[in-house]
Amino acid sequence: MSNFSVGFRQHDGVQILDLHGELDAHTAPELEAALQKCLQHGHYNILINGRDLEYISSAGLGVFMAYIEEIREKGGDLKIAELKPGVYNVFDLLGFPLLFDILPSEAEALERFARGERPTLPSS
Amino acid sequence: MIRNVTIPSLQQTEMLLQQRRTRLFLLVPFFGTGYILSVVFHLLSWKSGTPPSTWVRLFYYDGLMLITYGALWLLLWGETHQRGPSPTRTFWSLTVASLLFLGLGYLVLRIGRPSGDLALSTPVSGFAYETGVPLTWAAVVQMNVLALLEALLAFWLLLQLRGLVLFKRTRQSERSWRWMLITMAGSALLVDLFQPGEFVLALLLSLPVGLMLRNAFRVAWILYLTFRQKLLNLGLTVLATGALSGTLAFTSGPAHEYVWHYSPALSSFVNLSLAFGVLYLVTSFLSLLFHLPTTGAFQRKVDELAALHALMQLVSQVFDVERLTETIVRLPVEAGVAQAAWLALPDFQTTFRPRIVAAHNLPADQTPEALVDVEALYQEVAARRQFLLLEQALTDHRVRARPEHGIGSLLVVPLIARNELLGVLFVTREVAYGFEQDDVEAITVFATQAALALDNARLLSERLEKERLARELAIARGVQRRLLPQQLPRLPGLQIVASSVPAQEVGGDYYDLLQLDDHRLAFIVADVAGKGTSAAFYMAELQGIFRALSPLNPDPVVFLTQANQALFETLERKAFISAVYGVFDVAKGTVTLARAGHPPPILLRPHAPPRLLRLQGLGLGLDRGELFRRTLEPCTISLQAGDRLLLYTDGLIESRNDRGESFGYDRLLQTLEAHARDTAASLHRHLLETLAQFTGHPAYDDDLTLVIFQWQEVPMLQEARDRQDVQAQTTGASASTAQPSQPSQQAP
Repeated sequence: MSNFSVGFRQHDGVQILDLHGELDAHTAPELEAALQKCLQHGHYNILINGRDLEYISSAGLGVFMAYIEEIREKGGDLKIAELKPGVYNVFDLLGFPLLFDILPSEAEALERFARGERPTLPSS
Repeated sequence: MIRNVTIPSLQQTEMLLQQRRTRLFLLVPFFGTGYILSVVFHLLSWKSGTPPSTWVRLFYYDGLMLITYGALWLLLWGETHQRGPSPTRTFWSLTVASLLFLGLGYLVLRIGRPSGDLALSTPVSGFAYETGVPLTWAAVVQMNVLALLEALLAFWLLLQLRGLVLFKRTRQSERSWRWMLITMAGSALLVDLFQPGEFVLALLLSLPVGLMLRNAFRVAWILYLTFRQKLLNLGLTVLATGALSGTLAFTSGPAHEYVWHYSPALSSFVNLSLAFGVLYLVTSFLSLLFHLPTTGAFQRKVDELAALHALMQLVSQVFDVERLTETIVRLPVEAGVAQAAWLALPDFQTTFRPRIVAAHNLPADQTPEALVDVEALYQEVAARRQFLLLEQALTDHRVRARPEHGIGSLLVVPLIARNELLGVLFVTREVAYGFEQDDVEAITVFATQAALALDNARLLSERLEKERLARELAIARGVQRRLLPQQLPRLPGLQIVASSVPAQEVGGDYYDLLQLDDHRLAFIVADVAGKGTSAAFYMAELQGIFRALSPLNPDPVVFLTQANQALFETLERKAFISAVYGVFDVAKGTVTLARAGHPPPILLRPHAPPRLLRLQGLGLGLDRGELFRRTLEPCTISLQAGDRLLLYTDGLIESRNDRGESFGYDRLLQTLEAHARDTAASLHRHLLETLAQFTGHPAYDDDLTLVIFQWQEVPMLQEARDRQDVQAQTTGASASTAQPSQPSQQAP
């Protein structure tokens, strides 16, 4: 039994996906299907809300990597918001904050979408 | 001697009579004796010239009659019982039997008269008017022979018609047939006993006549005849009706007197039977006549349904999904219930839309998508979970076909098995309103069968796929096991304990150690994202990179940057590898390491709290190279005696107990503090024990790799190095080989 689900919302042209439960190798295809659906409908500004995401494994992180290139080529972005500390730590260990906009609140993420900002590389 | 005499029950008697030998053995003596006694009775009354008393007639003679003709009925019943009914044969045999009877009857009536006698206008009555006593010996013979012939004909007729009336056997039809016979016999006996007047007679006969009418309309056999057979039987019923009517006229006319004086009951029964025969033949004739025009349509329908049904069997024998889908669209067309058919299945792999997997007999150069909006119709049927019938397909907005494509009506049927929608079947007919009620029913039933077959085929292929995967995983596990170091290198001053427990599936953990020269040791602990065969391949690739590159470029930044470049090209987009790489230098007493997205290594010093080395660094394969190189943060540590360095994979941190809590960094650091003074080996053991206690079960969800290095006292270094050269020669052979799945320990 899958204990993962994705909710869909829209806000100012941004497609918001609410993740619930645990994202691992078994449930990753569901997130893939959801992202695929967004791309099919031409939504390239995607915000992942992780308020109810309890757990993420490396296979789950792989889903974001699989789609980010295509999304950015199409001029959109995928941002992540409101991760729980434990989940954020997994993102952080792998250096995802360098590759993705990971923001504490949805409002901030939407603001960055509105301003068309993308993650800036740290200057060396 | 007392013997138990048991009277056999009705069923036992019936079973006894089923056997031909017993039947003949039992019944022929009864009938023969009874018949001879009746002849003797009539001879006696002819000789004496006086009628027997009423009591003799009632109890002796009528009882004798009942037994004699009861035995005859049973004899004939046994002979005709097991034959399958065939209207043609029945009608034909009835005609022949009637004509035969008429011929014989005519001859019998001529007995005892001169040939010219019939032409005379003064027929001599053979019986005394008042008493009914036969007056001549010829009359005695005639009455006995005619009675037997009539009884034979009537019984034969009833037994023949029985097969047709009971063509569709139900309790109801059997009961009404039996009651008809009983009331016919009963009323005939009552007529004999009371010789009633006309009014009572009519009342008496109303019951058997009612039942006769009821049985005369049981003509279900007509449905199964072909047109030619119906025509043939139509002719035969006319013939048989004529012959039987003639017989009826004969038995109630010239022959009536003889048989009536023989036994009024028998005479009444025979006439009732013949009347029933005529009635049945007339209703058969009329029914045949009315059924003639519908035969063609009915036959076509029966053929279609039979074909579809026969073909359905085929569906359940195909297990290959592709061939099965082709069969599913072919059958309705071949059975003639549809003009064209196609099947849409949901595509769960790529597009998540219904996909046409098979089509049959489409109009020239057309695809289903060009004819109808497949997705819209699919979604509607998926929501309804019921068939959708477009009687006038061309007027529907979801149908794109033009009139010349020949899609007049469209039936869309869901394939549902185990409450799950497996696909949708589309069937078309050329004309509008082309699907009749029973076509729709037949196709719906067919769809249910097809869904079951599809489900079976799918389960089978899933099982095969599972077995294939299991084999693949077994190979991958073997590869993975061999990739882990079989033997740990030995360097002076450095104690190494390493273990890697793979999860039930193939995981992506990898660790390796490589002695670069006499004082340097390169190490790597890595975790490939994902599991299964691909993870094992990436591990193999990483091992190649590690073994090839680290001797050339041991520096962590250079090595990891090059590894990232190599991996970025080959890893699929969603795959990446986290790793910690470093080099021990036992001559300098230092370790240099860098972290590429991996859980941070822990430095445990004898008199200090454990320290997480959270160095910056991206996972391998995430970035093309520029960002990776810039963010990588190497670190060099001067080792003190007793320092321990812990490397592990996320299996340690993320192992969870039954309540869903993960072990986490806090528990890890607490455990390390509690065992701060332990050697590498005992620390390793305590950590795994603590983890097992926490999770409460021995199997891990993920791979778990734990490598602990311990740095010995520096002053011992030189001594140890000197000693090692000597020891290597003496104890080299007994050096234990490390099993990768079990803790191993090697000290210089």
